[in-house]
Amino acid sequence: MRRLNLRSWKTGVILAAAVAGLTVAATTSFAASTKPVRVAIMTDCKGGFGFGYELDIGGAQAAFAQYAKGKAKNKAKPSAGMTGINVNGTPIQIVGYGCGNDTVPLAVTETKRLMEKLKADVMIGPLSGDEAVYVANYAKSHPTKTFIIGTAGSQDPTLQLAGKNLFRYHGDGAQWNAGIGEIAYKKLGWRKAAIIMDDYSFGWTSGAGMIADFCGIGGQITKRIFPPLNTTDYAPFVRQLPPPNQIDGYFSAVGGTGTAAMLKAYEQAYGKLDPKKFVGNLFFAFLGADKVVAPKVVGAYVGGFGTAGGLKTKQAAAYRAMVLKTYPKLPTDDGFVYNYYNAGWALVQGLQKSGGQLGAKLNAALPRSIRPGFQVSNGGVLHLDANRQAIQDQYPLQIVKNKDGSIGAAVVGFVPNVGQDFGGLFKKSSPPPGRTQPPCKKVKTPWQGKIKVVKNGVITNQVIK
Amino acid sequence: MNPAAWTRRQQLERAIAFGALVLVVVWPAVGSSYWAHTILVQTFFYGIAASSLIFLSAYGGMVSLAQTALFGIAGVIIGNLATKGGPGGVSKGLHLGWDPTLALVVAILMTTAIGLLFGLVAARSAGIYFLMITLTFSVIATYALGQVTNISGFSGIGGINEYTPGWIGDILEHPNRLYYLALGVAVAVYALIRYVIRTPFGLTLQGVRDDPIRMSSLGYSVPLHRTLAFGFAAFLASLAGILYVWWSGQIAPGNVDLPETINLLAMAVIGGLVRIEGAWVGAFAFIIIQNYVRDFHVPGLSFGGTLFGGSFNTIIGIIFLVIVLVSPDGLMGLWGRIFDSRRGSRWRRTPTQRGPSAPGRGGETTAA
Repeated sequence: MRRLNLRSWKTGVILAAAVAGLTVAATTSFAASTKPVRVAIMTDCKGGFGFGYELDIGGAQAAFAQYAKGKAKNKAKPSAGMTGINVNGTPIQIVGYGCGNDTVPLAVTETKRLMEKLKADVMIGPLSGDEAVYVANYAKSHPTKTFIIGTAGSQDPTLQLAGKNLFRYHGDGAQWNAGIGEIAYKKLGWRKAAIIMDDYSFGWTSGAGMIADFCGIGGQITKRIFPPLNTTDYAPFVRQLPPPNQIDGYFSAVGGTGTAAMLKAYEQAYGKLDPKKFVGNLFFAFLGADKVVAPKVVGAYVGGFGTAGGLKTKQAAAYRAMVLKTYPKLPTDDGFVYNYYNAGWALVQGLQKSGGQLGAKLNAALPRSIRPGFQVSNGGVLHLDANRQAIQDQYPLQIVKNKDGSIGAAVVGFVPNVGQDFGGLFKKSSPPPGRTQPPCKKVKTPWQGKIKVVKNGVITNQVIK
Repeated sequence: MNPAAWTRRQQLERAIAFGALVLVVVWPAVGSSYWAHTILVQTFFYGIAASSLIFLSAYGGMVSLAQTALFGIAGVIIGNLATKGGPGGVSKGLHLGWDPTLALVVAILMTTAIGLLFGLVAARSAGIYFLMITLTFSVIATYALGQVTNISGFSGIGGINEYTPGWIGDILEHPNRLYYLALGVAVAVYALIRYVIRTPFGLTLQGVRDDPIRMSSLGYSVPLHRTLAFGFAAFLASLAGILYVWWSGQIAPGNVDLPETINLLAMAVIGGLVRIEGAWVGAFAFIIIQNYVRDFHVPGLSFGGTLFGGSFNTIIGIIFLVIVLVSPDGLMGLWGRIFDSRRGSRWRRTPTQRGPSAPGRGGETTAA
């Protein structure tokens, strides 16, 4: 038996230490690279936006399929799940889908369930404005987690609250309505208008976009009416509006089932609807309103949803093809699908850049610019502002009767690079939209006078006059 | 307090209660964080709210549907008083920026005063009419909060948990503080109710419950006792509401609407409307069902095309129905029935004890 000498003993120790070190390093590295990123998709499955459940999940997962090797379990039902999502060796595990109902109390329990019980690292969502205000507050108190808003129109999350771990790759409700005031002013000749809007955060934000745009170019809002959410009888509120002979027109930011009920109350009060007297927000044309409301107001102009149905650009076509490859029946031009898709895509890009690292590293790595399907400005690149809020192209619409007799919304305008601040009107220090906010003020928005005419899905060089 | 003098049932119940208390005290150190900061903390404050309902029912003979409204009113008051507006601040409410301790005291006092007012209106009615009046209070609260946008609006007030009193500290950074605060308040509320029901007021209230005409003829003011009981229950509900807004950070009309009112009633019924302990048992059972049933897809129970939203409501409804049919006194009543079924065994109760199985009679009132 060989004697143990000092030299061989030292060598052995060094070798053993090296092997142990390498093993630990390899194990750690292996563990780090294979530890899945836990992602939750928060949406609504009940309430007024419950129909958005599959659309939202489908949008986000279509991006995972396209850019992170995800495989849909059921091509007709996104909520059946997705497997095999992997970003450069880092798996993504979808730990759960949030089931909100457009109210804050349920958003509280669902957010806690997803982030604390199911221990999600990243949330994509929520769907609606009030939910997003809660999530933005929650995000501020949970700085190690990352939140990418799915489709929510309230302004507060990214302007007044603006946590550093909160991102939004689409416009808020005010941005979606950019350009519609100028169209009313120029195309319809309105100078004095009244506005009726739901008395809650999304109604106020949506109305704020109309007011800011219309007053910005020189129009006047002479009356603001606020029916409470879930009103069924709009007669008392419609009666407070100035009659049609005293006003050029009405902006409407009344949503859900309220839109049709409000228009019916208007007809009972003032007679047949004149579509040229009404400019609506997305609730005139989207979210089921295309079947109920739109036929009553053919010819009316409508604020957009950040999407451009039928837009004929290569980028839009590529986006549609990518979504349909994973979920052939998903309505690609729907705002829910589009916004969740972009959120999912941004997350993949962020994880690619952060090497699967989370928290502050992921927040720093999440892209400050992406190339979403319906973005045209800046060579098709959408930028985020300093609050991580999208500066996004917007597309005003008009309700039209198609050749086959069906009623739909056609894109009629292209509003480039709409920022959340509306040319300085909205600031972090200013109150968020409300009953009296914003005031009716002439402001030069960056897109004023630059809204281009869109015909048959093609953006022309002609500006709206 | 001599354990040797207790009946076997009392010994067992108190041993279980002590064990449960020890468990929840050490839980944050040994158990899951989600359970501590979501399941148990909700059990504590919803249990307090349910205990206010059970107190009125068991000892006053009044089933109130206004407790959720009072819970929410306390949250709205403290939200308006304590939060601050300004740049980067929260968006809704008055944001008066008061000292949170002062706001806390004022919120409790105002809610109690509103409860007394509610009680004053409802005190002369009974049975289904009392139920309808308190339901009206609940609806009024929902719509008032929704439509008076200066104080709330449908979006409610957010960020309230950033404004806790200095003696509590930052509960966002240290959630265990809220946990132990809620636990302490729950224990204190339980002890307070047990104390109140033994006072002359509590005993008179039980007399009013059992035979209001006789009590009236003996010279007791029935409406006054009912009103005071309602005010006391409002005080308890206000504690629950304040703990809730510190936990969730927000309050909105959705917290006091009809489904939430029914949820609180369901907690109380599941636990049992006859014993105060049932409040926490019912809240715990409800929150467990709410948090875990939804993770299981039950074929045929998903309505509206959603995966679990429909299932939850259906399952909680079925459980509610089963409990009402099998044990109208809820889980606490079921517990009592187990002992009743063992009459003659070593579990048998002493003849001096009143049975807990009489619905709405506060069976353990006179138990030592």
